[in-house]
Amino acid sequence: MTAPPLALSMGEPAGIGPDLILEAWRRARGGAIPAFAAIADPAVLAARARRLGLSLPIRPIAALAEAAEVFSAALPVLPVTAANPEVIGVPDPANAAAVTGAIRRGVELCQAGEAAALVTAPIHKAALAAAGFPHPGHTDYLAELAGPGCRAVMMLACDALRVVPATVHCALAEVPARLAALPLAEIARIVLAALARDFGIAQPRLAVAALNPHAGEDGLMGDEEEDLIAPAIAALAAEGHAVAGPFPADTLFHAEARALYDAALCMYHDQALIPIKTLDFHGGVNVTLGLPFIRTSPDHGTALSLAGTGQARPDSLIAALRMADAMARARAGAA
Amino acid sequence: MKPIIGITMGDVCGIGPEIVAKSLAAPELYALCRPLVIGDAAALARARDVVGAGFSIARLDPAALPEEIAPSPAAALCVDPGLSVGDLPYGEVRAEAGHAAFEFVRVAVDLAQEHRIAAIATAPLNKEALHKGGHLYPGHTEILAELTGTESYSMMLATPKLKVIHLTTHVGLVDAVARITPERTYQVIRLAHDTLARAGVAAPRIAVCGINPHAGEHGLFGRGEEEEKLEPGIRRAIAEGIAASGPWPGDTVFFRAMRGDFEVVVACYHDQGHIPVKLLSIDEGVNITLGLNGGIIRTSVDHGTAFDIAGKGIARHESLIAAARFAVELAPKRAT
Repeated sequence: MTAPPLALSMGEPAGIGPDLILEAWRRARGGAIPAFAAIADPAVLAARARRLGLSLPIRPIAALAEAAEVFSAALPVLPVTAANPEVIGVPDPANAAAVTGAIRRGVELCQAGEAAALVTAPIHKAALAAAGFPHPGHTDYLAELAGPGCRAVMMLACDALRVVPATVHCALAEVPARLAALPLAEIARIVLAALARDFGIAQPRLAVAALNPHAGEDGLMGDEEEDLIAPAIAALAAEGHAVAGPFPADTLFHAEARALYDAALCMYHDQALIPIKTLDFHGGVNVTLGLPFIRTSPDHGTALSLAGTGQARPDSLIAALRMADAMARARAGAA
Repeated sequence: MKPIIGITMGDVCGIGPEIVAKSLAAPELYALCRPLVIGDAAALARARDVVGAGFSIARLDPAALPEEIAPSPAAALCVDPGLSVGDLPYGEVRAEAGHAAFEFVRVAVDLAQEHRIAAIATAPLNKEALHKGGHLYPGHTEILAELTGTESYSMMLATPKLKVIHLTTHVGLVDAVARITPERTYQVIRLAHDTLARAGVAAPRIAVCGINPHAGEHGLFGRGEEEEKLEPGIRRAIAEGIAASGPWPGDTVFFRAMRGDFEVVVACYHDQGHIPVKLLSIDEGVNITLGLNGGIIRTSVDHGTAFDIAGKGIARHESLIAAARFAVELAPKRAT
C-alpha cells in the first residue's frame, strides 16, 4: 500500500504561501518532492498563477485519496472558500475563516489517517487576530485541535542541525522567569521521543545549552544553570536518557560539537535561531513535536511584499514537505 | 613597508612560545607583516627547537630598540625585558611566568604608544599565574585598559566573513539587558565606525541586533527595550553621518552581514555575537579589543594556554596567524 499524501494548508492568501505551493508543485513533478494536496481556495491559487504568469493545472479533489493519482498531472486541491481570493500583499481579515479552516481540515485528515502529515504555509498573525482568532500562532492552535493534554514543542531543523527553543516569543529579560515555570525535563522527553519515533534515531542524544555566557562560570555570571537547567538534566540522565549540558552556547554549534548530539535544547529564541539561520538561511524547517500527528512548516513568514513577485524562494517549504515525508516514513516504519 | 605587529608571547609555561615559533616559521606571517616578538628570547629559542624551526633569534632591549625593525624568516627579533623565564617548566602555574606575561603586555603597550608597532597580537596568558605574579586582572583586556587609561572599550570577534562587536560581554543574560543604554549603543557604533574608518574602510555599514526575538517586532515581544535602549543610540550615530541601521532581528542579521550587507554587526550580549562567529570558525576566530586609548588595536588568539599540551609541539598556530592578520587589517592606516 502506498503511503497517504501530505496535506498542505494554504496559509495567508495575501502572502507568499500560494506562490510557494505553486512553485513546489512545479518542482515536484520530477519525483523529488513527495505528493501533496493543497488545502486551499482554488480561486486563490488560480489568481496567483495568473499573476505569476504560470500556466499550471489546478484540480479540485473531493478526497485526499485522489491526490496521488492526480499529482503528476495537476496540483490537487481540497477546496476551502476564501471570501476574497484576489488579495495580494494586504491581508483581508474576511479570509481568516478560510485560513483557519484549512488548518483544521488538515488536522482532521491527519487524525483520520488520510494524510501522512500536515505541512502549513505561513499565516499572518495580525490578520487572524483582527478577525478574532485567539491563538498567537499555528502551534497553539494545533495543540488545541489535537486535544487536551498535548504539549506542542517547536523544533527547527536543517540538514546540519536540530534545535528546540524552550522559550520562544518571550522578552529576553523574562526568559529566566519563564524557564523557572517550564517543565524543561518534560520538553526534553518530548524531543527525545520524537527523535526516536519520527527521525529514526534509536538512541537519541540531546545537548542542553546554558542560559548565561560560559554557562554562568560557576555562578559568576548567573545561577540559572545550577538552579534550573542542571536539575532537569540530572533527572533525565537518571531515567537513562543521553542528555548532557548545560553547555556554553557559543561553542555548541560548530561542526565538531554538532556531531555529538542529535538535537540541542536551547533556552531562548535567538540562541536557537541564530545557529540555524546562519548555517542554512533558506532551508530551515519548523517542526511541531508533541502532537499526535506530524506537522512541519517553512521557518519564514508571509513575506507580504514578495507575494506575486516570483521572488519568494520555495526552499524552506520544499524542505518542510520532504521532512514531513521522511518523518511519516520513520513513524510508519517504527510502528 | 609592511606594518610591524608586536606579538606578545603570553605565559611561557603554556603553548604561547611554541605557537609564536610556529607562526614565525610559517610563510604567511611574514607575508602579512613584520613580526616583532615581545617575550623571553630564551623561551622562544626553546620553543623553536620544540617545533623544529631553524630561524635565528636576535634579542632586543626594549629601552634601546634599533631605528630599523627588519625581522626575516631566517632571523626573528624578540624584544625581551630580561626576566629570565626561559627555562621555567612547561605546563606549570608559575608566578614568575605570570609576572613576565604581564610585563610583555606592558612593553607592547609602550611600543604601541610610541608608534613603534602598528598593533598588538597576544598569545594566551594564564589567569592563575598572572594572579600569583601579583597582577590581579581578569585577563588581557583589563590589563590593556588600565595601562592605556581606558574606561570604555568593546570586544570584537572577527572571522574572514564576519565581524561582530559587543555591547556587553561577561555578565549574566539578565544583567546584560539591564546594562545596555542608548549611550553605550552609540559609543560602540561610533567605535566600530572609527576603527574601520581609520583602517581604511570608507563608510562602514554597521547593523545593530535587537535584544528580543524578532527585534521586538514593534513591541510585540519584549518590553520595548529596542525603542528604549537601542534606537536612540542608532539615531544619534546616523545623525552624525555613520551608516548605522537596526535594530535588526538577531537570527537573520548575521547571514545578511556574511552576504555582504554590513561590515560589522553590533551584538547586544555575549552569546548573541559569539554563537555565529564560533559556529562559522572555531579555529579562525579572533578576539579584538577596540577602544583602547591611543587607538591601539589588540588582537588575540581565541584559546587559552593549554598547559596539558605545552611543550609538545602539537599546538595549532592558525589562530595566532589569524590574530596577526586582523591586527594588520585593523591597524590605523597612516599616510605614507
